[in-house]
Amino acid sequence: MIRFDNVTKRYQTGLDALAEVSFEIGTGEIAFVTGHSGAGKSTLLKLVSLAERPTRGHITVNDRDLARVRRSGVPQHRRGIGMVFQDHRLLTDRSVFDNVALPLLIAGTPHADIGKRVRAALDKVGLLSREKASPVALSTGEQQRVGIARAIVAKPQLIIADEPTGNLDPQLSLEIMNLFADFGAVGTTVLIASHDLLLLKRMRRRVLVLDHGRLVDDYRPEQAA
Amino acid sequence: MSAQPQPLKRSAPEKSASGARRSRVSLRERLAAWRDQHFHGFFSSLGRLAARPWASGLTVFVLGFALALPLLFWLVYDNARDLSGGMREAREVTVFLKPALDATAASALASELRKREDVSDVTERTPAQGLAEFRQLSGFGEALDALQDNPLPSVLVVTPRAGGNVDEPPLLGALKADARVDLVQYDAVWRRKLSGILQFGERLIIVVAALLALATLLVIGNTVRMDIQARSAEISVMQTIGASNGFIRRPFLYAGFWYGLLGGLVAIFIVGIVEYALAAPIRALIDSYSQRFALHGIDVLVGLALVGASAAIGWFGAYAVTTRHLVAGRPR
Repeated sequence: MIRFDNVTKRYQTGLDALAEVSFEIGTGEIAFVTGHSGAGKSTLLKLVSLAERPTRGHITVNDRDLARVRRSGVPQHRRGIGMVFQDHRLLTDRSVFDNVALPLLIAGTPHADIGKRVRAALDKVGLLSREKASPVALSTGEQQRVGIARAIVAKPQLIIADEPTGNLDPQLSLEIMNLFADFGAVGTTVLIASHDLLLLKRMRRRVLVLDHGRLVDDYRPEQAA
Repeated sequence: MSAQPQPLKRSAPEKSASGARRSRVSLRERLAAWRDQHFHGFFSSLGRLAARPWASGLTVFVLGFALALPLLFWLVYDNARDLSGGMREAREVTVFLKPALDATAASALASELRKREDVSDVTERTPAQGLAEFRQLSGFGEALDALQDNPLPSVLVVTPRAGGNVDEPPLLGALKADARVDLVQYDAVWRRKLSGILQFGERLIIVVAALLALATLLVIGNTVRMDIQARSAEISVMQTIGASNGFIRRPFLYAGFWYGLLGGLVAIFIVGIVEYALAAPIRALIDSYSQRFALHGIDVLVGLALVGASAAIGWFGAYAVTTRHLVAGRPR
């Protein structure tokens, strides 16, 4: 699903955010990316969503060479990815329903299907009863769940999440992570950046460890066990 | 949290099948979605304007005044052109005869002229008629009474037959050459000056309209730009989750369209008020001159053209500004 071949990303400041990173994540796999602040976690996710382009190396997402995705093709590429952010990035001037419906509006989903699919997504994150609420009226954990509903509503094959539990307490964090684990169970590939090592240990999933832009460990619990 | 896996489930063969279907079915579906999106943009942008009635109202009124100005100029010009058109049609040649000529001689000349091919009508005005008319128009009644005899000559008003050389008809030469004629008045020169003035007015209106159209463009562009800045966070979220530039641009384009449209309507409203305020005194003024001319207001077509043009300007201004924002915000 995702394949990095000797990927290096050097920012204009001269900093190598990623250096010679290679790995592959299969379809339906759930993987975490971890490392200290500035290790390159966010850069790695940005390269997948084409918010950044690699300086060297090749990235393939869903069998497509990202170097061949032109600027005009970037929105189309992103529509195939569900994205979750640490600060959830909801639009506060519209309801929960409208926030979740946004990717469908963007994709041009027929009007009749939108309500059904938005409710299905909200149901999955347990917020069906709050569809008319404003995101501001929700707790942080609920806001993050709305963010997740928005990421899954268009049924992407890949979900990437940048520190999705960064602002949550351990109990809520575990709930959110289990939610992601459920998506993996149904064939969606999930890539999550997180520095919460305790949580990662409990999840018992594959973990890519970055250190100063280098991939220093690729931990697979199945093999370790 | 109930986890129902079905909607997310996606095995590989299913996916390729749906992918193939997507490319076949979707022309109609895509058109429907495209229409839905435009429909949505059309009304949601209006709702957004209505959500901030003061700010939107202010912008719309600024636009209205900017657009009303050329419209008022045009109205003045159009009426002046009409008025001059009436004068242009007045093709009479006024012939002042030598004061020595008496009424019989004047009648003889009149019937001579009536026989000419290029004359359609001749009206005689005796000195007495002339004096009575002058008394009525000038208000010098008392002073005229003091005159012992009538100093006015006989006057023939000759209407040339239509067609031929309007600026310098041959009839004119013949009249000027006649020994019985003192003065021939034909308004060709005056008309040439008038059409010069009208041409200048026309050019002036075009220039003013162009400048104010530019002002409209800038006002709408700036308003939309502020709108974009206020919503830049929203725009970046939309870009992150895969919104195309067209999708992001659309509500702003419609906002520009609405600003232009409403501004145009306000302009027509303002011109209507001005017309109403000026109608009575202008009518009195016109009545004192002649009944031939009637003041007219804005043509429906001109009104529609103005509203359409300002809506188009709004759309274009919004397009330019959003494009700039989208290009500037692009990662390099």
